[in-house]
Amino acid sequence: MTQPISILLCALGGEGGGVLADWLVDVARHAGHPAQATSIPGVAQRTGATTYYLEVYPLPHSQLQGRLPVLGLNPLPGRLDALVSSELLETARQIGNGLASNDRTLVISASSRALTTAEKMTMGDGRRPEGPLLDVVAAHSQRHHVMDMASLCQQSGTLVSAVMFGAIAGSGLLPFTREHYETVLAGPSKAAQASLRGFALAFDLVMRQREQAQYVEHVMKPAVAAPSASAALPADVAAKFPAELHPLMGLAHQRLVEYQGPAYARLYVQQLERLMAAESASADDTCPVTLEATRWLALWMAFDDIIRVADLKSRASRWTRVMQEVKAKEGDVLKVYDHFKPGVPELAALLPQGLANPLLRWDRARVARGQAPWSMPLKVARHALWGMVSLRLLASLRVLRPLGSRYATEQALIEEWLRGIEAATRLSPELGLELARCGQLIKGYGSTNERGKDNLLHILRHVCGPTSAVPLAEQAHAVARIRHAALQDEAGQALDQALLQHGAPARPVKEQPVLWMKNPRLQKS
Amino acid sequence: MEVSFHEEIKALRMGAGEVFHGEGILAITKGLLQSGVSYVGGYQGAPVSHLLDVMVQAKPYMDELGVHVEACSNEASAAAMLGASIHYPIRGAVTWKSIVGTNVAADALSNLSSPGVTGGVLIVVGEDYGEGASVIQERTHAYALKSGMCLLDPRPELGQMVNMVEHGFRLSEASNMPVMMELRIRACHVRGQFVAKDNQAPKLSKKHLIDEPAGFNYMRLAHPPVTFAQEKRKVEHRLPAARQYIAEQRLNEHFEGSTHRHLGLIVQGGLYNTLMRTLQQFDLADAFGVTSLSVLVLNVTYPLVPDELVNFCKDKSAVLLLEEGQPEYIEQELALMLRRLDLQTPLHGKDMLPSGGEYTAEVMAQGLLKFLDRHQADAVPEATRQWLATNGERRQQVQTLLGSPVPARPPGMCIGCPERPVFSALKLAQQDVGPVHIAGDIGCHALATFEPFSFGHSILGYGMSLASRAGVSPVMKRRVLSVMGDGGFWHNGLLTGVQSALFNGDDAVLLIFKNGYTSATGTQDIINTPTDIAKELAGDKRQSMVHTNQTIESTLKGLGVQWLRTVHTYEVSHMQATLTEAFTTEFQGLKVIVAEGECQLERQRRIKPWLASLLSKGERVERVKYGVDEDVCNGDHACIRLSGCPTLTLKDNPDPLKVDPVATVIDGCVGCGLCGENAHAATLCPSFYRAEVVQNPKLHERLWARWQSLATRWLQPA
Repeated sequence: MTQPISILLCALGGEGGGVLADWLVDVARHAGHPAQATSIPGVAQRTGATTYYLEVYPLPHSQLQGRLPVLGLNPLPGRLDALVSSELLETARQIGNGLASNDRTLVISASSRALTTAEKMTMGDGRRPEGPLLDVVAAHSQRHHVMDMASLCQQSGTLVSAVMFGAIAGSGLLPFTREHYETVLAGPSKAAQASLRGFALAFDLVMRQREQAQYVEHVMKPAVAAPSASAALPADVAAKFPAELHPLMGLAHQRLVEYQGPAYARLYVQQLERLMAAESASADDTCPVTLEATRWLALWMAFDDIIRVADLKSRASRWTRVMQEVKAKEGDVLKVYDHFKPGVPELAALLPQGLANPLLRWDRARVARGQAPWSMPLKVARHALWGMVSLRLLASLRVLRPLGSRYATEQALIEEWLRGIEAATRLSPELGLELARCGQLIKGYGSTNERGKDNLLHILRHVCGPTSAVPLAEQAHAVARIRHAALQDEAGQALDQALLQHGAPARPVKEQPVLWMKNPRLQKS
Repeated sequence: MEVSFHEEIKALRMGAGEVFHGEGILAITKGLLQSGVSYVGGYQGAPVSHLLDVMVQAKPYMDELGVHVEACSNEASAAAMLGASIHYPIRGAVTWKSIVGTNVAADALSNLSSPGVTGGVLIVVGEDYGEGASVIQERTHAYALKSGMCLLDPRPELGQMVNMVEHGFRLSEASNMPVMMELRIRACHVRGQFVAKDNQAPKLSKKHLIDEPAGFNYMRLAHPPVTFAQEKRKVEHRLPAARQYIAEQRLNEHFEGSTHRHLGLIVQGGLYNTLMRTLQQFDLADAFGVTSLSVLVLNVTYPLVPDELVNFCKDKSAVLLLEEGQPEYIEQELALMLRRLDLQTPLHGKDMLPSGGEYTAEVMAQGLLKFLDRHQADAVPEATRQWLATNGERRQQVQTLLGSPVPARPPGMCIGCPERPVFSALKLAQQDVGPVHIAGDIGCHALATFEPFSFGHSILGYGMSLASRAGVSPVMKRRVLSVMGDGGFWHNGLLTGVQSALFNGDDAVLLIFKNGYTSATGTQDIINTPTDIAKELAGDKRQSMVHTNQTIESTLKGLGVQWLRTVHTYEVSHMQATLTEAFTTEFQGLKVIVAEGECQLERQRRIKPWLASLLSKGERVERVKYGVDEDVCNGDHACIRLSGCPTLTLKDNPDPLKVDPVATVIDGCVGCGLCGENAHAATLCPSFYRAEVVQNPKLHERLWARWQSLATRWLQPA
C-alpha cells in the first residue's frame, strides 16, 4: 500500500523552519501532489528547539480519481522517511527519540553546533563532543548528508531554511524536479535571489555527496594542529628535556620572554628542571609530571594583570581581528571602546607590598562600612590617540612588574605548588601528576583567579601533605575528583561535598560583609 | 504584531468555489465569516493567536462586513462579550488558549450557559495539550460537562473544520447552548486546503443596528429564582435538542469496516488522522481512510448521542475508545449507557491506552496492539510487532552511543531582549542582600526560570505573581519579589495584585516589565503600547519608545502607589541598586519598579527597514556590535552565566597553551549593550569591547579617523 512520504524538520526558533515547511507544501501543490504540514511552535519561537512535520503523497491528484489521502500530524518513530535538521545536537535528539531508523530514514543535518546554555555556562569546557553525535547519525540513518550549512548560508547570504530546502531537493527524496522547487523560491527581491543561491549550493553539494559515498568524513573538523615548531626552544634548553616536552615548552618559553623577558623564561626552565629531578627516581622516563606542569606553570607565571591586558588590547593584530569580527568594510569608520573596571586590588597589585597593604585595608574598611568596594569603570577608546597612549603607558609598566605585590604573591604560591608536586612525586608519581594537573584551577582575573588559588591551596594543604587526613593510597584519586568538583560551580558546593567525602575538611567560610535589612515589620513584635 | 497577515487577509475575502490554502486556525476564521458572525473577541495565546491577529489586521474588511472585532483585556471579558447573544439573534465567536483561558472565563461561561443563548455562540479554544504545550495539562471537556456547553472536536481536515464551524452556530441556535470547539495545537497549525463559500454579512451588525433593546425577561438573567428553572431546562430541553440536531445532521461520522467490521473503534474527531496513520501500520487501513475495522468519529464529544453509540456498539464483538487526556469522561458515560441497557459488548479504553499524555501514532499503536491481541490476534502483521519492539531498542542504542542524555534546549529570551539585563541585575543584587523568594508569572520573563538564571519559586497564573506572594511575604524574613509583565498587569495583575496589596497595606516588591506588548503571545498591542505617532516622530528609530506611554505609571499613582521607580532595563548597575533599595528600604508599603525597555522583536521590525532605507540613500548609519578579545578572555564563562544571550557563545581557545574554550559574540548581536553593562556591574574580565561601525561617515569624521589611526598605528606594537 502506498504511504505518504513523511519528513520531520528540526530547527531553532527564528531560523525559518515554518517558511521551509510552507515552501515544501507549495512545491507539492505546484506539482499537483497532496501534502500537509503542521508544527508545534508555541514559545519555542523564542530561540528554543522546535519541529515541523510534513507528509507528501507520492502520487499526484491526477492518479487518485478525486480521492484524498488522510495525512498524519505526528511523526511515526522508525517509519520516518526523512529527518532534516539545522543543528547537529537536535538531529541527535530526534534520533534519540527513536524517530530515525537505518532501514528507512534519510538524515540531512548541519554539521555545526549551536551550543545550549547548559553547555556554555560551565566553568571549564562543557561542550558536547561532536564525535558521538556524528556516530549516532551514521548508525541510525539509511543514508545521511551532514554538511556545513552555516558556511553555505554565509556564502549565499541567506537563511538556513533555503539551504535545507536545497538539500531536500538534491536528495531526491520527493518526486519533484529542481524547477518545481526553484519556482517556489523565485522572485525579483534580493532575498529571493539569495535564497536561490543558497538553494543551489546545498542542492549541488548533496548531489555530489550522493555520488561519492563518504558524507561525514569531510565535515569532521581537522584535529587541532599540534603546537607549531616555529616557537622552537633555545637549543641549550631543549637539550635538557625529553622531546615530548619541546613543542609546549617552546610556546611557553616564547610566551614568558614576551611577558617579562628572558630572565623570567630562564626561571621557568629552572622550575621545570626541579620537577624533572623529583621525577627522575620514577621508572617512567617520559616525565609525565613535568610534561603536565609545562603548560600550567607557564600560564600561571604569565598571570593576567592590567599590564598584560593593556598590552594585548593595544596590538595591531588585535585591531585587524576586530575589523574582521565586526565586518567593517573599506571606508567605514571603526570605533572600539574597551570596558575596564580596575578596583583597588588591581591597582595594589602593581604597588610594592608596603604601599599595597594600606590601600587594601582602606578598601576593606569601605566595604565593612557597607559601601561598594572602590573601582573605576572605564571605557577606553582604543581607536583614539589618548586611549592608545594610556594603554601603551600601562603596558610599559611591564619592567616594574617584578616590584609589584601581586608578582611577589604569585611567585610565593607557585613555589608552594611546585614544592607540593616535588614532595608528592617522590612519594607517588600518580599523586604528583594529579597535583600538577591542579594548575588548571588557576586562571583569569579578580575573583575568578582568587577562587582558583584558594581551591588549589586547600587541596595542597588539606588533601595531601603531612597533615592530610586522607590515606596516601587514596590521595591521587581524591585530588583528581576534588579538582573536577572545583570546576563545577562558583559557590564551590560540589567542591566542599567532594572534600568531605574524602575525609578532608571543607573550605573555611570566607568573611564577607553582610547587608542587614532593617525591617520595622519584624521589630514590632 | 509579530506576524503580518497581508496574504492571509486576501484569502479571507475568497468567494464560493475558490480554493483556500493555509493554516487551520485561519480556515476557522474564514468559517466564522461564512457563518455571518456579528462580533468576534478573545485573548491571544498559542495556538489560536492568529485567529484574532488576522481579524485585527483585517479591520477595513471587517468594517466592510460590519463585523465588530474586540481585542479583550482577558478571557473573562471575552466570555462576557457573548452575553450579546442571550437576548439578540446575533452570532458571536470568541477565542483563547485553553485550559488557562477557559479557567479565567469560567464565571462568565457559567452565567452565559444558564440562561442560554438566542443567537449562535462559538467558543474556539486552542487545546494546548501534549508536545509543544506551554500550560498545565487539563481537559477543557470538564467545562462543557459542568456548564452544559456543546463541545466540538472536529477531524483535523480543513474542509471538515470549517464545516463544523458552520454547524456549530446552528447547533447553538437549535439547542440554545453555547458551543465550544476544541482544536489541538497541530490542528491549529496544520497547512491544508478547502473550497471556500461566500462570506455572509451579518443581518444585525455595526452597519445594521438593533432599533430597540429587548423587553425585560427574567428568564434571561442568571439570577435566582430562575436559575433553578434554567438548570431543569438544560437537561429537559437543551440537551435533547442538541442530540437531535447532532443525529439529524450526522455530525459524527460512522465508517463501516470490511474484514473486521465486528471490531469497533470510537475516536475523538481530532485524533482521527493519527488513528488512520496508525491503522496503516497494521495494514488495517489504506491511504484514504478505508478501514477493515469499523470506526465511529466523534466530531461532537459533548453531548454524546446515546442511540448512535449504542447502535455502533451492539453488533460489535469488542470496542476500543480512543479518548485523549484524563479523566476519561466519554468512556465513563459510554460504559454507563451500555450497562443501563445491559449490553455486554466488551469496552476498552484507558485499560489499554495511557490515561495521560498526547495520543501519538506510537501510543495508539501500542494500545491497538493490546486490543487486537485480545480480540483478533491474527490481524497483527509480524512486521508491526517488530516495528513497535525495535523502537524501544533503538532508543536504548542511541542512549548508549551518547552516554548521557543530550542537554535540553528550552526557549530563551531573544537576542537583545530588554528583560535579560533585569535578571542579570537581580542575580547581582542577591549577592548583596541574599537570596529572595521570587514569585514568577506568565510571559517572556518566565523564560528566566531556565538556565542561566533559574529564577522563580512559583507561577500561579497570568498576572498572579503579586497576589501569589500575599501568603508568603508576611511569614518571610526577607522581602519577596514579584515579577510581572505589562501583559499580565493588564490581564489580571492590576486588580488581583496591586489593588489587593495596597488595600491590605502589604510590604511587597513588584517589578513590572514594561516592554509595551504582550510579547510571548506574538507582540500584540495593549493599552500601554507606544502609539504609531510616537514611533513616527522618533528621530532615532532604534531607541526604546515605551517611555512615551505612561498609562501604567499614572494608573499606579492613581491607585495610590507611593514608592514607584522607573528604570531603563539596560542600566544593570542602576537596576541592581534599585532592587537592593526596594529590598532594604524602611518604606513598608507596596514598592513598584517599572523596568522600561521596548520588546526587541518590535524594535527590530522598526529598525531593519529604517536602516536599510538610510543605507540605500547613502546616509550615515552607526552599527554597534559587542565582542570578546579571545586572548584576554579567561575561559571562566562568568559573562554567560550572567546573560544567556544566544549570540554570546563559545569557541575553541586559539591559544595552544590554554585549554578552556573562550567566549565569543557571533553574528546577530544587535548591540543592546548588556555585555558592556555586565562587564562593569559584575566586574567581569576586561575582554569585552564595544565596536561602533560608522557606514557612510561624514567627511570630517573620515579625516579625523584617518588622523587618529595614523597616530595610533605609530604607537601600536605588532
